[in-house]
Amino acid sequence: MAQSIKLEVVTPERPVFSAEVAEVQFPTATRGYYGVLPGHTPVMTEVGDGLLYYIQEGQKHWLTVFGGFAEVGPDRVTVLARESETMDMLDLERAEASRQRALKLLKEAVTEKDLANAQAKLDASLIRLQAAGHPAGHGF
Amino acid sequence: MASLQDIRRRIRSVKNTQQVTKAMKMISAVKLRKSQERLVALRPYAGKMLEVVRRVVGRIRGDVEIQPGPAAQAFLSPREEKRIRMVFVASDKGLCGGFNANVAKAATAFVKECTSEIVHLDVVGKRAVEWAKKQKLTPAKEYLNIPLVGFQRVVTEISESAAAQYHAGEIDALYIVYNYFNSAVAQTPTVTRVFPMEVDRRGEDRNATEVSHLLEPDPNTVLETLLPRFVETELLRNLLESSASEHGARMAAMDKASSNAGEMISKLTLTMNKIRQAGITNQIIEIVSGANA
Repeated sequence: MAQSIKLEVVTPERPVFSAEVAEVQFPTATRGYYGVLPGHTPVMTEVGDGLLYYIQEGQKHWLTVFGGFAEVGPDRVTVLARESETMDMLDLERAEASRQRALKLLKEAVTEKDLANAQAKLDASLIRLQAAGHPAGHGF
Repeated sequence: MASLQDIRRRIRSVKNTQQVTKAMKMISAVKLRKSQERLVALRPYAGKMLEVVRRVVGRIRGDVEIQPGPAAQAFLSPREEKRIRMVFVASDKGLCGGFNANVAKAATAFVKECTSEIVHLDVVGKRAVEWAKKQKLTPAKEYLNIPLVGFQRVVTEISESAAAQYHAGEIDALYIVYNYFNSAVAQTPTVTRVFPMEVDRRGEDRNATEVSHLLEPDPNTVLETLLPRFVETELLRNLLESSASEHGARMAAMDKASSNAGEMISKLTLTMNKIRQAGITNQIIEIVSGANA
């Protein structure tokens, strides 16, 4: 039985994260959060937007993930994310600015499509702020 | 024979041209590096994507209980190709050697030999638009002056609509014609079928020993969402290949142009010196013969 999981997160832009971890939890598009421990049965599923956490040496760490796929095996979790950031890559100021912009867009939105776009932008910025422990993110 | 002043003017003009070509070469080198970096960064993602697709396809093929949906057919049992969609990628600017001419030749040959009907044509780059005009084809969509960061948007647009067309039965295959990036100095015009995709059966044997995957929420939904993502990745890779090739080709062309200009300058300088010397000799002869008389 595998003792640890190799977590790999890659995006089209760059490989984001790769390390041996003890536990992973990630958001799926359709079925809420998915927790994975070593020895998990192989699963393939679509990833939603939100926060992924992994436990490494007893410490909980967070990553943001936005869409994509996850492949789970007994000793590995591979996440093919559309976008993803580690805490170091996050730009708080940009996320805050993007939240403000999204709020403004949301007010001005006329069509359904505008509304959905603005809401998606707002959600994305809130996820990033929440990841960084920013007060604005906690209302999410 | 040209006068001394004419030649001097000529040298000055060639020198100016050389400066321009040298600058263009330098710019292309920087752009080439950027495109290449993106290409290298995409590789792990594209590799993993292919692996995942293989696993899912292997799983579906190995399980008779799963009824493959329309998306699964794209991977498993391609239908007869009657109508196809084609993407042609060239550059926006010229001065890059045979880059556009070669890929256009490949595209023309493909259009001529292709037995199925091209129902949808996307062109990327101004030169591609010109090619389409010459071929009397009407592109459904033209993508002009796309910066490196805009590629993602373009490929998302194409792949989403291509997948939708496949589902609706409007197209049976998606082809892309572009320049494959061999190295900074060599490009190969390439025609590739992006999907339906031929899944390598050798890859499956290796995975057959593993426990097969649960596909959540169900196999067809997974494949339906996986297909556009996979097409997107492949297209993005091809666009980046083309971009890197373009800058590589331009760099090589400009390097050649700069050295040609250098050669021309040294030849002209030699002629100029000869004429100047001939003039001086004539004058001396005149003075000497004048003194003798």
